[in-house]
Amino acid sequence: MAIKPEVSEEKEVYVSPHFPEYVRPKIEDPGLDETIKRITPEKIEKAYQAVFGKKTARIKAIVETCIHCGLCAEACQWYLSNDRDPTYAPVAKVKMTVWELMKRKGKVEPSLVYDIARIAFTECNICHRCSLYCPFGLDITFIIGLVRRFCFLLGVVPQRMFEMNQAFMATLNQVWMSQSDYIDTLFWREEEGMYELKNLRMPMDIEGVEVIWYPLAAEPKAGVYHIDRIAKIFQVAGVNWTMVTINDSWDSSNMPMFIRDFFNMQRIVRGLYDNAARLRGKKLVLTE
Amino acid sequence: MGFLESVALYSFLRGPMVWITFIIFIVGSIYRSYTLINLAKKERIVVNIKAAIKSYFHWLIPFGSRNWRLRPYFTLFTFVFHTGIVFIPIFLYAHNALWYESWKISWWTLSDTVADVWTILVIIGCLFFIGRRLFNPTVRFVTTYSDFIFVFICLFTFLTGFLAHYQWLLSYRAMLNLHILFGEIMLIAIPFTRLTHMYYFFFTRALMASQAASWKTKDW
Repeated sequence: MAIKPEVSEEKEVYVSPHFPEYVRPKIEDPGLDETIKRITPEKIEKAYQAVFGKKTARIKAIVETCIHCGLCAEACQWYLSNDRDPTYAPVAKVKMTVWELMKRKGKVEPSLVYDIARIAFTECNICHRCSLYCPFGLDITFIIGLVRRFCFLLGVVPQRMFEMNQAFMATLNQVWMSQSDYIDTLFWREEEGMYELKNLRMPMDIEGVEVIWYPLAAEPKAGVYHIDRIAKIFQVAGVNWTMVTINDSWDSSNMPMFIRDFFNMQRIVRGLYDNAARLRGKKLVLTE
Repeated sequence: MGFLESVALYSFLRGPMVWITFIIFIVGSIYRSYTLINLAKKERIVVNIKAAIKSYFHWLIPFGSRNWRLRPYFTLFTFVFHTGIVFIPIFLYAHNALWYESWKISWWTLSDTVADVWTILVIIGCLFFIGRRLFNPTVRFVTTYSDFIFVFICLFTFLTGFLAHYQWLLSYRAMLNLHILFGEIMLIAIPFTRLTHMYYFFFTRALMASQAASWKTKDW
């Protein structure tokens, strides 16, 4: 049977009705497509007022200092990997989102919110490189973060990011893992690891330890071998360490941060620190 | 042409207008800085002085930071332009003479040759910036009319000053009036427009430097 080469068809393009230069392949994402049908200009203005209404010193300094020099472009991996397309430059992203919102004082139509959400969520990695390249040290990433907050308040968030956030809302970890599942997994990994390292223990909830390790939720779910590897390293190094199973706060990843859901961001971080305080741990070690 | 050359205009620009300009510039700048700092105090903003000074140092010397090294021509022109725009007016012999006439104070001055060459370089810098805004697609995409106006104000100030010194093109007095007018517009514009980057530089730079220091990285 002859192998049929997959023909790459011409993709449909999306041209922004607001910025003719903004041409992208068309994507289908219910998180963006469906939600913009539900928002109204009043809701948009309310969200704008909530995020940008009260001008803080940071926003003021950033918006009033930028001299549009375009030196931040060289820092952006999106810009560099897209043949230096002007619309991928950090300052262009700010222009198409914040300047446009501020120019119209939040009185914008849903189709612009779609563009804004697409730019802020899918074309910026919030890596802070542009802030380090800016001659004025303007925190461009902070501004993009605020734009994400604006989109989150309107519910215009890519589906996958929002689903992940819902996992955090329900279970405080990103993989819908229950506390009993977690404990079970740790016992299982202890058992498996004992064959390879004598007297391997998976210490749980020990008070007054030196190191508390918070794994990433993907580790007990998908990359379980990471757990006994780390346990072996700690054991051989003679570190007095523990894992936390007393409640649901054990996942160190903070996905709500990516859509700027402040409430859940706080729940996660507070949960981790509360547990550390309860166990009187000296150091927190997080997987990254 | 008559009005432009008139002594009345000259004495207005040279007399009350100078006072107004400097009062607006100084009071406005202090007000803008003060309100920004006051606003920042209400927020949780950490400032690490040591990191900030290091950061100033690296960004204020040519080729001191990675981004300056990535764009040698831009760096060259921006430094010649910005140092020129600050130091030429202060240390120019003719300006010094005016200070001496009015208040009997004076300080070091630039020699005529240095001032001329530097002024020409500043003018070339202005043209470079305009060209960049026109022909660099990345910059053109984010350029607004105000950006051109800022550059043109600087360009005209220096160009008319240079032409007035050599008494070319227009009559000396007309050129001089234009020069004073543009200079005053520039100074007045500083507190009200994005030309505030003249002193906001130090605040925003300090903020980023402190943040970078808290991540144990450097921002240059």
